[in-house]
Amino acid sequence: MATTPLIEAENLAVKYPEGDLALFDVTFSIDSTTFMAIIGPNGSGKTTLLKAMLGLLKPTDGFIRVLGFDAKREYKMIRKMVRYVPQRDQIKATVPMKVKDIVLMGRLLKKPPLRVASGKDVQIAKDALRRVDLENLWNHPFPELSGGQRQRVLVARALATEGQIMMLDEPLSGADHDSQVLIVEALQEYYNENQVNIIMVTHDLNPIHTLVKDVLMLNRTVMGIGHPCAVMDLELLRQVYGPSAKIVELAGHKYCITGDSGFDHHDH
Amino acid sequence: MIIDVITLLLTSPILQRALLASVLVAIIAATTGTFMVFRGLSFLTAGVAHAALGGVALALFLQATGIVPWFDPVLGAVIFAVFVAVMTAYAGERGIAQKMEVAVGVSFALSMSIAVLLMYYLPPTRIPIIWGYLVGDILLLDNLDIVMLLGVAFSLVILFILFKKEFVYVSIDMEGSKAHGMNARGYNYLLLIFAAIAIALTIKAVGAILVYAILIAPAAASNEVMKTVNNVIIGTFIIALIAMILGLSGSFIIFASPSAIAGIIAAVSYIIALQVKRYKRSK
Ligand SMILES: Nc1ncnc2c1ncn2[C@@H]1O[C@H](COP(=O)(O)OP(=O)(O)O)[C@@H](O)[C@H]1O
Ligand SMILES: [Mg+2]
Repeated sequence: MATTPLIEAENLAVKYPEGDLALFDVTFSIDSTTFMAIIGPNGSGKTTLLKAMLGLLKPTDGFIRVLGFDAKREYKMIRKMVRYVPQRDQIKATVPMKVKDIVLMGRLLKKPPLRVASGKDVQIAKDALRRVDLENLWNHPFPELSGGQRQRVLVARALATEGQIMMLDEPLSGADHDSQVLIVEALQEYYNENQVNIIMVTHDLNPIHTLVKDVLMLNRTVMGIGHPCAVMDLELLRQVYGPSAKIVELAGHKYCITGDSGFDHHDH
Repeated sequence: MIIDVITLLLTSPILQRALLASVLVAIIAATTGTFMVFRGLSFLTAGVAHAALGGVALALFLQATGIVPWFDPVLGAVIFAVFVAVMTAYAGERGIAQKMEVAVGVSFALSMSIAVLLMYYLPPTRIPIIWGYLVGDILLLDNLDIVMLLGVAFSLVILFILFKKEFVYVSIDMEGSKAHGMNARGYNYLLLIFAAIAIALTIKAVGAILVYAILIAPAAASNEVMKTVNNVIIGTFIIALIAMILGLSGSFIIFASPSAIAGIIAAVSYIIALQVKRYKRSK
């Protein structure tokens, strides 16, 4: 019996009520269990694709399935399995939340109303915070954190939540170098220890190149899919990022200069 | 002087009602006002209040012309208020935050135009009623007004006991809340609809013009200095209550409208809160 693919899209098109066709003719399939990166320039539809998987945006054409569930009709089943880190501009800092409130949020969102945190919830949340090296900020006000610390707290929220699919939308953007390293290490460790699928949107493959199993390169439609090596092709990069894209080999590593996000490189 | 005021409070039913209304308005500020500030939707409060005024005018017109004789102004206020809140939430869902502001602005303008237009067709004896909703008078509340305020304040307290976390989650991370399987959309509409009803019922007590000052300024002040959601709620309640009570007692000392004094105190509380915050930071 063939296993159900993690993500299966066919002729998917998504259009915003106001505007442009953000995605068209998206057809691909990714097997479970994977650490997957979705890459592409700004405005290429990466966030849109994640939202389509969650049923937050409805396809105007085609379909997308997550572990066999249709995102348009069976989004409730999908959302039960998902832990989601939205793009950082989506989180409002106008509410005086503590770091612990944010980390516990993912667990409490999966409970029925009143959503009381048990001792076990607190334990798991603290453990998640330790994985991103912020356990001493448990009681700290979230809005007072730096950009990198906020991203780490949001990743901790995802680590603490239940569900076999973790979706992260640009979790490294706005984070300082040390925070980026911490986040990548925490994800790697978690991925190795648990049977969990990670889908990470990024416009810079560089920091996660050694981790990633599958790469989906988007520019409103699928430009490339496969192992990082297959996607790091000069022709393809130029097609997506423009004629200034380059690939440089240095000390056994293949570097991509896309002009969009600086360096992307991966072991060769 | 103070003794006189207190004796008067304890003996006059008008003042007893006004005092109770002050507590109820403070509860509405602590719940609705606080979350409008959390949501970054404080402008919606002003929009909803003025839209309610259009509803009042329409109700009076339908009553006076005999088209719908039973149409109470409060009903008109609530319908218009809820309509604007729902439209705004819907505009917000379709994307872009600017749209919400435009939606509020347009319904604000439309309702006020309706109010002014209909004033020409109302018998002169009914005009003061519209003015009453515009500037409000806590001393003119009747028993039914109090019962309605009590009902909405009580409902808000229950809603917040049951769903405070949901409202917080909707405020900080709407997308994430949906993605994790919470019915964020439903809670968003629930919150906004009850907020709209509360605002519509508050305007008779404090006036459409001053609703913003009395429901939003205390919450904005409290949110500047308090460090947890519960403390912001409590702080808002205390500031709003002090403003209302001082407004009420002050109105006997200097001959002025209670809500005007309360509005000034509430606005000043925000300025003080900013100073307190700056002082704390510099320390
Ligand atoms: N709410 C929206 N309304 C209209 N157009 C949108 C909206 N969100 C995104 N878009 C458009 O859809 C396209 C893809 O956006 P997005 O998925 O956010 O790209 P990415 O995440 O890859 O940067 C862009 O052209 C963007 O302008
Ligand atoms: Mg994006």
